[in-house]
Parts: sequence; C-alpha cells; structure tokens
Amino acid sequence: MAAAPLLSIRGLTKQFDKLEVLKGVDLALAPREVVSIIGSSGSGKTTLLRCVNLLEEFQGGEIVLDGEAIGYRTVGGKRRRLGDRELSRQRAMTGMVFQSFNLFPHLSALGNVMLGLRKVRRLGRDEARAIAETWLDRVGLATRGDHYPSQLSGGQQQRVAIARALAMNPKLVLLDEVTSALDPELVQEVLNTVKSIADDGATLLIVTHEMRFARDVSSRVVFMEQGQIAEDGPPAEIFGAPRNPRLAEFLRNTRT
Amino acid sequence: MAYSLHFGAVWASFDKLLEGLALGLGLAVAAVAIGTVLGLVAAFASVGPSRVARAFVSAYVSLFRNLPLLVLVLLVYFALPATGIMLDKYQSFVGALALYSGAYLTEIFRAGLISVPVGLREAARSIGLTRLQTNLSVVAPVMLRNALPSLGNTFIGMFKDSSIAAAIAVPELTFEARKINVDTFRVIETWMVASGLYIVACAIIAALLRRLERRFPKF
Amino acid sequence: MELFDSFLQQLWIAREALWHGFMLTVGISVASIVFGTLLGCVVALQLTYAPLLLRLPFRIYVDLMRGTPVLVLILASFYIPAVIGLSLSATEAGILALSLFAGAHIGELGRGALQAIPPGQIEAGRSIGLTFPKLLAYVLVPQALRAALPPWINTGVELIKGSSLLSIIGVGELLLKTQEIIGRNFMTIEFYVFAGVLYLIVNIALDQFGKSVERRMSAR
Repeated sequence: MAAAPLLSIRGLTKQFDKLEVLKGVDLALAPREVVSIIGSSGSGKTTLLRCVNLLEEFQGGEIVLDGEAIGYRTVGGKRRRLGDRELSRQRAMTGMVFQSFNLFPHLSALGNVMLGLRKVRRLGRDEARAIAETWLDRVGLATRGDHYPSQLSGGQQQRVAIARALAMNPKLVLLDEVTSALDPELVQEVLNTVKSIADDGATLLIVTHEMRFARDVSSRVVFMEQGQIAEDGPPAEIFGAPRNPRLAEFLRNTRT
Repeated sequence: MAYSLHFGAVWASFDKLLEGLALGLGLAVAAVAIGTVLGLVAAFASVGPSRVARAFVSAYVSLFRNLPLLVLVLLVYFALPATGIMLDKYQSFVGALALYSGAYLTEIFRAGLISVPVGLREAARSIGLTRLQTNLSVVAPVMLRNALPSLGNTFIGMFKDSSIAAAIAVPELTFEARKINVDTFRVIETWMVASGLYIVACAIIAALLRRLERRFPKF
Repeated sequence: MELFDSFLQQLWIAREALWHGFMLTVGISVASIVFGTLLGCVVALQLTYAPLLLRLPFRIYVDLMRGTPVLVLILASFYIPAVIGLSLSATEAGILALSLFAGAHIGELGRGALQAIPPGQIEAGRSIGLTFPKLLAYVLVPQALRAALPPWINTGVELIKGSSLLSIIGVGELLLKTQEIIGRNFMTIEFYVFAGVLYLIVNIALDQFGKSVERRMSAR
C-alpha cells in the first residue's frame, strides 16, 4: 500500500469472559477502499466491526484510525481505556449502520440525521437541517424528511440510517449486515444506496452475507474464520479461486 | 330507621367540595412533578456505574414504598421542625407525597430504561454522543413515552392519596367532606357526593390519559 | 447518647401501649386480607367467567372502590352504619372498609391473572372431559396463582399501610398509640421514626416472604 492506511488493525484480540472471539486480527484499509468481510456466524466479523467503533472493548492489539490510536492509551506502561468524552470524539470519526437500523423512534427522519450534527458537531439548527436534507436527498428520501421511523418501510429506515451515519462526515463507514433484517424486495434499494456511496469515494468496511453484492462493490474481500482472517484478496480471487479450504467450503454452502 | 336522602345541605357546600377537589389535584400535580425529577435521577443512577448510588436508590425505594404515607406526612409536618426546617401544611404534604411518588416512579422509570433497546443507545454512541447526551436526547425521551401509561396511573394514585392531607387539616376534598358530615349529619349524602367526585375526577383523568396515550403511543 | 437513653426509657414505659397498637395493626391487616381475598376470589371469577349481566354489578363495585381513596372509604364506613341502624365499632368499620378495598383490588389482579392464561388451556382441559369447576381447580387457578402472587403480596403491604389511616377514626392501632405517646412525652421524631421502622420491618418482611414463595413456585 503506497499511501498511509486509513485504518490499521494490528494483532487485535478480544475475549468475552473466557471465550476468545478475536484471536489476532491484522487488517489495513486504504482511503476509498471498500472491503467486505465474509464468514460464518461466530467467526467474529461483527465483533471486529464493533471494536473499530469502540462499542466493544478489546484486550490486545491496536486500532489506528487516520494516524490516531483509538480506544486506549498507554500511561506509564499500563494500558487504559479512554474516558467517555474521548471515546465519543473518536466514535464520531467512524459511522456505523446497524442490522436493525436503530433509528431514534421519537425523531423524524430529518431529526435522526440532524441529532449528531447538532449535539456532536454543535451546528446551528438551520445549518444542521440543510446538511441533513442534503443527505436524505442523497439516499433518495428527500420527501420523507418529516416521516417518523414507524411510518417508513424497512428499506427506507435503513437508508435514513445510512444518511445519519454519513451526515457526520466520518472517515470510515462500518456496515453490519445492513440488509439481513430486510424483506427480500427491499434489499436491493439499500444495496444500491451503499454502492452509490462507494462510488462516491467513501471508505467502507462491510460485513455481509450478500455474496453477489460483496463481489460487485468491494475492492477487497476478507474471509474470517474462528476469530482470525483466513484469506484476504480481490473479489475475483476470493470467489473465483479460493485458496483456503474452509473458504471454499463456506462458499459452497452459501451458493448464491 | 328512617333515613331519607336530602342532598340540599351537601349542595349548599358543593363549591367547597369542588375547591377541595381542585386543591387535591394541585397537590398531586406538584408532588408528581417533583417525584418525576426524583424518579428520573434515581432511575438513571440505578442503572449507572456507581455501586454506592445504586445502593442508595435501592434504599430510597424500599423506604418510601413500605412506609405508610400518613406516617411520612406526620413525620415531615411534626417532626421536621425539630431539625429547624419549618414547612407549612401544604409544603409538608407536597414534600412527603413527592418523596413517596418518587419511589414508585423510580421503579417505573427503571423498568422503562431497561426496556429501551440497546441498539438505540449504540446508534447514539456511534454518531459520537457522550453518555450524558445519549441519556438526555435518546434514552429518556423514548423511555418516558413508553412509561406514559404507568406514569399516568401513578398520578391518579397520588391524586387519591391527596385525601390523606385531610389528616393535617389541609382543606382538600376529604377534609371538607368530613366537615360537612359532622356539621349536617347528612352522612350518606356527603360520602356519596365526595366519593362520586373522586370517581368522576379519576375517570376524567383516565380518559384524558388514554387520549394522550393514543397520540403518543409506545414505541 | 443521653437522648437515646431517655428514648429507650420512654420506649420501655410505653411498651404495652405500643405492643397493643402493633398487635391491633397486625390483626386488622390479617382480617382485611382474609376477607378481602375471599371477596376478591369471587369477584375475580365473576369478572372473568360470568355472563355480562352478572359481571356488571361486580364491575361497578370494582370501579367504585378503585376510584375512591381508601380514607374516604374508611370515613364512610365509620359514619354511615350508625344512620342505617348498624352498630359497628371503629375497628369493625375499619376492617369493613379495608376488606372492601382489598376485595376490589384482589378481584382485579385475579382477573388479570386468569385472563393471562392461554385459552388453549381451557380447550385442552375440556377435551379431556374436565367440568368447569375441575378445570378451575386443577388447571386455571394453579396457573393464575403464580401470576397473582406478587400483586397479592403488594395488596397486603397496601393494607398494612392503610391500617395506619384507621388512626383517623380513633382505632388504637400502632400509629394512634404512637401519637398518644408523643402527646405525653413530646419525643416527636423519635417515636414517629420508631413507628416508621416497625412498619418498614413488617412490610419488608412481607415482601421477602412473597419473593421466597415466588422462588419456590418457579423452582417447580
């Protein structure tokens, strides 16, 4: 990689109680790269994502985002988790879109997108509204700004969630199985939205089951197995000529 | 035994009864308003990181849900002055009822907090909101709306409990009714009207509540 | 510690009065819970299973009781019997009021518990030939008991708290006795706190008892 990586994960380990979920993960993303993570459930892919946006703690290794080590600092030889305000600042540098949307039910679509702009970026109401409207338009929901989540379809809700994440102008966007909870006919609209964002040059880290989509949109695909990255390469290689036998088996089982 | 119903004496003082009713409502509103603030603080503390705070809240709830309200009122009105805090009848009663309702509301809000989906909190954190901002802007609004029915029912309960203010001669509905009873000996009529007023008031409040719940349904 | 010593002294002097008051509180609460539960069971069954015409009077009774403050019930029970030819002592009037109150609440919570049982249970019971009384006894009530226990204990706690209101009509239960003692020795805070502590102990003990029964029920 010629340019400095935007995201650099080195030797990441994580345990839930006694269970080792991530057993040393190394991954680097350059700016504007779109990387998809595939693997069976329990392989640790969602956990990896959640470590990057600091929703989970990790015991070993480090994550460096745009040159800044996130989550922890070493004070006098001891590793300490950062405080709430520091963590919040760092979290604002990544955006996350969840499988279950997690839209704020008491706010309209516009309100959902504006909340971060007003409370975190501390923008004025008019400026925040203008930015929010731009992003809702970007995901094709310009006319739905005043609708509440309960009045939107699943696909529309997920697109609002994408707008909400992007409006914060994050350096990296994390997408955690964003279509898994959608009815089949609504999946495509969301995939299209993600693709168009990728085309605009966003840096994306995507966990997905949608193999066709992963092949289409990614510049790189990573296969995770039992808490480690087992194979990492361009889509043509991963899907066309997998080297790792377990990857081959996985692809056979998830024939698309 | 010939007891014929004569409502005249009661109607003559009907305005006093209505004033008493309004006073009772006012006492309840004031108490529940304070109690809501108490309950919110305590509920958040009870799911927060501080073990001391959690224990304190647990003790507060235990204490004020198991003490008879009358004992609490008497304590505040008669015993507190000895420590230098002088409260009049109204302040004493509102204070006691506020502490009392706060304990019930703490439990309601705590259950509400636990039932707010984790994902909402995570989404708020993901866009960079601090813990405090998350609680204020996302968790509390969602929780309060979900807790609306319980909050309303608690208010109705506290309104009925405002009758206990009669014990320290606050001129609310029950106090006035008892006066009329003693003055006119129209025993059955007085209590029919008094309880009728309470029942109608509670029914109206409940109906208003249901309307409110329909406008702001649970998430 | 001087203040504490003189409190202990006064406590000792007042021990009989307090004991009588405490016992009366317990007695009133127990009587009310017993009557209230008997009444409540009838109400619950009627509200859940009876036809509309039979349900109505019980519905009215419950709604009346639930919309009225306990104190109003107590005062009404105190003043009304005399004019309709009944002679009730203050204590009897108090127990009447509390029982009627409890009956309505227990009726409602019983109804809730019975209605929460999946209708499939009734169908299953019927299809093995159970008559309704047997269905009730062997299928419905055992299941309803589990759900009804916590609110029932709650009602018990409310009754104990409600018994303190009987002091207003001159019943010599714990609170009235406490007030009489304070009238003599002016140790206001000490004795109100003492009374409060007694109520707390009784109610918390009742709560704990309820929880342990609940635990044993869930274990099965």
